[in-house]
Amino acid sequence: MKQKIILILAIAIFFALIAWMIGDLFTGNSEPQKNPFDYGMKALRDADSIPDFTEAVSLKPTLSEITSISTGTDGRIYIAGRGGVEIFNSSGHILNRFTIPGNATCLSYMPDGNLAIGIEDHVELWSPSGVLIAAWPAADTASVITGVAATPALIYVADAGKKIVYQYNRDGKLLAKIGEKDPVRKIPGFIIPSPYFDVAISPAGDLWVANTGRHKLEKYGSDGSLLISWGETSMAVEGFTGCCNPSHFTFLRNGSFVTSEKGIERVKVYSPEGVFQFLVAGSESFDEGTRGLDLAAGLNGGILVLDPSRNLIRIFLPNKKN
Amino acid sequence: MDKQSRRKFIRMAVRGAILGGMAIVTGDLLFRQEGSLFGKNRKSGPTVWQLDPAKCIQCGRCATECVKTPSAVKCTHAYSMCGYCNLCSGYFKPGTKTLDTGGEKQLCPTSAIKRTFVEDPFYEYTIDEALCIGCGKCVKGCGAFGNGSLQLQVQHHICDNCNECSIARNCPADAYRRVPLTDPYLLKGFGM
Repeated sequence: MKQKIILILAIAIFFALIAWMIGDLFTGNSEPQKNPFDYGMKALRDADSIPDFTEAVSLKPTLSEITSISTGTDGRIYIAGRGGVEIFNSSGHILNRFTIPGNATCLSYMPDGNLAIGIEDHVELWSPSGVLIAAWPAADTASVITGVAATPALIYVADAGKKIVYQYNRDGKLLAKIGEKDPVRKIPGFIIPSPYFDVAISPAGDLWVANTGRHKLEKYGSDGSLLISWGETSMAVEGFTGCCNPSHFTFLRNGSFVTSEKGIERVKVYSPEGVFQFLVAGSESFDEGTRGLDLAAGLNGGILVLDPSRNLIRIFLPNKKN
Repeated sequence: MDKQSRRKFIRMAVRGAILGGMAIVTGDLLFRQEGSLFGKNRKSGPTVWQLDPAKCIQCGRCATECVKTPSAVKCTHAYSMCGYCNLCSGYFKPGTKTLDTGGEKQLCPTSAIKRTFVEDPFYEYTIDEALCIGCGKCVKGCGAFGNGSLQLQVQHHICDNCNECSIARNCPADAYRRVPLTDPYLLKGFGM
């Protein structure tokens, strides 16, 4: 009798143990292990204020690996990427597409309606119908062409490899180098730690360059003199942070600056004097680690953001209170 | 089957087994390389553990899971990728206002990164291996805001090369793998 009780007890304990193990396996603490050395990126990404713009619509190009965007005066949208260019009207309908010999790194709509395109190691000018107008090689074998902008007579090419902006005429003749360090002329030189180095022409026709390592936007005369600069280093939404920002910028029709950043991905609007005005999109709008948010100004105050991570053109419109 | 033919059968079978074995050994020696029929998925020579920086998510487990104290995983600097920035996001805590070497401004919990002035506005950052615990905090900062020149790597003069690496077993990104001893580092960078 005594043996029977011991046997029953042993079996009961055995089954209880099995039940506890199964329970522990399926209902145990499933929280991921915390990182005691966490950098705190999430807190930094969540710190931005509520955006003053809302994403209205997105445009899906058929091109892959899109890198650059520009808009024409009539609202047409020009997109370049892996081996080609696509042109859409302001409603998002495709108008034309053509191939280019390589992968575009930057693109700019020119005042005469043509396109200036940086393609790996050279620059090409194309008509919107897909006719090659001119082409010339980069200034140096170490060149990394990251930005292009055009006035009616001149083409400016930002070279992150040589940390210089080159000024060409429309035939590709090199006319001047802009931004070389020159203490006599009080030019500090460009600090470009990574291949993000943008250049743009303001509505007033002035040349602006992103000196990303200094977190500044700088205005240069056509003779290469540094005229004015603005921008401050700060994690706050008003400033630029990381090793090198803003990675891209463009202008609204009223002369305001639109900037984009990497690290803490965000798009912002600054007044023509460089005063922070609006947050267009904060880091919550982008995949973590997204780099290369190229920008263009759309019609009706819209801002077009090229999102290379999602291969989309995302169009943000101001909220009604703005 | 009579006695003689049974013996003959056994003799033939033994000869066949020996010849077959020799053919397998010869074939293995001849084709012992990756991608060959016999050597498929097989590395020639001794291998060691290494961490692939492209997969690393800087979870902190290299610092806490290694059987060595401090960890055999250390921050390694791929200088070819470094921007020599004044505001180095791998060196300074986020939001630091003044860029100097004050300990309270440093991101590294053990002050294992040394900042040296090169020329305006460039600074060089070197890792004091003895102080580095392999936490990857600087790697996260450098990768998020900079070029990603700071990378974690197993240091083979410290690593015990355990059969079952305890970090590899706990790595949530599956970033560890065996690599040939002749090419034991997986640093990514320009010209690497």
